[in-house]
Amino acid sequence: MLEPSAPVLILTGAATGLVGSLLGLGGGVFLVPLLTLGLGMPIRTAIAASLISVIATASASATINLGRGLVNMRLGLSLEVATSIGGLAGGVAAALLTRQQLFLTFGATLAVMGVIMAARSRKRNVIPEPDADTGRLGGRLVEGDRTYTYRVKRLPVGIFASLVAGAISGLLGVGGGIIKVPALSSFCGIPIRVAAATSTFMIGVTAAASAFIYFSRGDVVLPLTAAIALGALPGSLAGTQLSERVEARSLKILMAVVLLIVGTRMGLEGL
Amino acid sequence: MNETASGLDKTIEVVLTLGLAGSALLLTLGLTLGQPHLLQAGILLLMLTPVARVVVVTVGLFHEGDKLFGFVSLGILLVLITSVIVAVRL
Repeated sequence: MLEPSAPVLILTGAATGLVGSLLGLGGGVFLVPLLTLGLGMPIRTAIAASLISVIATASASATINLGRGLVNMRLGLSLEVATSIGGLAGGVAAALLTRQQLFLTFGATLAVMGVIMAARSRKRNVIPEPDADTGRLGGRLVEGDRTYTYRVKRLPVGIFASLVAGAISGLLGVGGGIIKVPALSSFCGIPIRVAAATSTFMIGVTAAASAFIYFSRGDVVLPLTAAIALGALPGSLAGTQLSERVEARSLKILMAVVLLIVGTRMGLEGL
Repeated sequence: MNETASGLDKTIEVVLTLGLAGSALLLTLGLTLGQPHLLQAGILLLMLTPVARVVVVTVGLFHEGDKLFGFVSLGILLVLITSVIVAVRL
């Protein structure tokens, strides 16, 4: 493996942090392919570095999103139990899979989520009345001078998606936003901005649940991971700031396209 | 829903910011001085930041009298502690 220089790694972290937080993700979904396919790193080193960087990105985005009132904390907590159990299980299971199986799982997961996202991109989740009943876990979203109401539908689907997201996170080092955001937005009636902010709020915990396991196994390469995480911090702060100016439907389409491209590329690597 | 959570939101923001700033400082120093111990400390602090956030949320929710979600949050904390124990024993 060619050892990339610190500035290259810091820039890589910054770029994936920016794009990731712009889309309401941890950014691991871009970081792992970049490190493995782009910089030729072993996939386990990439996954461990990504988990640490995802913690930085998600925590930095959460500081801004909390201030904006976009995080639905009680919904986040309800799903976090499932996602952290998944994260722990995925971290333990990752040791059992071969390199090929990891690449194929990565590719297939992304492609499936891309198709779901594209198919449901026209759906609107909000009720345009500011004082409609929110239900136990729903909430309100202020956009400009308008207040919308949303209700949480199909909570078991959200819990199941969070469990799977946690397991995928532990296996692939991606945090799992790529599964939670499409699932919450397409099936559970949550507006994409709230879905993204609430998912990001959870991702730090999901990634931490498996990061400890990678760390103790010695998969975390110190200088490399440190440089990427350092870059991810300013990148994700900038991405979260920018995310407010992008339209919800464009976010969904952009995410679908990226998922399909990266998913296909990673899947091919596993064949 | 979020009306009562605003004070807690603020505390979470502070905890996350402190964790990230401390970790960024340790990582920068570690890379500049070529000190692996500082890098290790920085990465550990980063990994512990979400755990600290869960502790704050758990205490905050019980303090607000929201026992149901306090217990939910406590459950998450237990999963994280299990993860650390599993990691140490591997």
